[in-house]
Amino acid sequence: MTGLGLTGGSLWVAKNGLSGIRPRETEQLPVRVETLDAHGSSAGETRVPTPGTVTVIDLFATWCAPCDDQLEILNAMQPEYTDVSFVSVTNERPSETLTKADISEWWNRNGGAWPVGLDPGSELLAALGAEGLPYIAIADESGTVQFGHSGLAGKETLRDELDALV
Amino acid sequence: MRRRTVLKSTGAVGAIVGVAGCLGSGGFGDSNPNVILEEPDREFESSDVPYPAWGEQIPDVSLSVPTESREIRLGDIETPTLLTFFYSHCQTVCPVLIATLRNVQSHAQNNGYADAVTFLPMTFDPARDTAERLGEYADEMNVDADSDNWQFLRPASKQRAKDVIQDQFGVVFQRTEPEDMDMYMFTHTALTLLVNADGFVERAYRSKSPDEETIIADLKTVRNA
Repeated sequence: MTGLGLTGGSLWVAKNGLSGIRPRETEQLPVRVETLDAHGSSAGETRVPTPGTVTVIDLFATWCAPCDDQLEILNAMQPEYTDVSFVSVTNERPSETLTKADISEWWNRNGGAWPVGLDPGSELLAALGAEGLPYIAIADESGTVQFGHSGLAGKETLRDELDALV
Repeated sequence: MRRRTVLKSTGAVGAIVGVAGCLGSGGFGDSNPNVILEEPDREFESSDVPYPAWGEQIPDVSLSVPTESREIRLGDIETPTLLTFFYSHCQTVCPVLIATLRNVQSHAQNNGYADAVTFLPMTFDPARDTAERLGEYADEMNVDADSDNWQFLRPASKQRAKDVIQDQFGVVFQRTEPEDMDMYMFTHTALTLLVNADGFVERAYRSKSPDEETIIADLKTVRNA
């Protein structure tokens, strides 16, 4: 278990290449996701991407080690981008072996101060065309996805993308 | 009963295909008495690919269930089955394949059909994927490995892994020694199979991130047939 995923992000990128900047067809967006009661998040529903603002969409899973690293990066950046909406979503389907409370707990340990949501049918994952985790998408104010990235996305890459949009 | 019905309609479909010319696979058309789902939209025949594909029977092999110290013979399974091929040290493709099966398992539990489906992820790394390791991996991936419907399968040796997974299931795996890592990894085919209760492949999902909703819907059709 230990060491799993230490190089996962870079390995993923090495194998699959950088997806880079590629505006996508966003017909399937926005997607409504159920949000959890957790740090920075309250139980309810949210629209992804957030209407009217630039949105950083972070797709993660509790089993995905590089996803922790991705959240660490996002956490460090978020205070600089107060006008940007952040949302993290997992496609793990809550069940007895992984309850909503388990996901909230995981979020409280690893997550940021923003809404965390559930995508149990992988609808958002499919809409974004995400092929691996972590996956970061950035949508502009009109909700059009301007950037998609499989594997760990670095601070500078994200900063470049965000600075161009806000 | 049902098979006979399917068989009857095959003639009609075959005739239509004959007239239309190049629809589907030619020959017998797009029906097969052994499967419930129609032939998938694809540009090849099942016999063209190295893995058992739509309408083909999976090999009736016996493999050990390391976490329970027993063997399973694939032909003995009486429910529709989802099979995939992985190794637990994998950091890229396999966790996604396993997580997809896990999500389907959760869907089965949440929707009352947990006993109507079997999940059989098969490791091609028997050297490292011991019973203990697979138990930890199940926890990490939030799999309900205590449920009867989930069994990790492990060929007894490297040679057996090659014979069964590579030669019979057509899933190629090649050991690699990545420079930035202190352990060996594999490159391998990403394959998830939906097999019906009679052991025939209904769908072969050749994707690194198979669509969970598609699998759930296909499985539903197969379960309810």
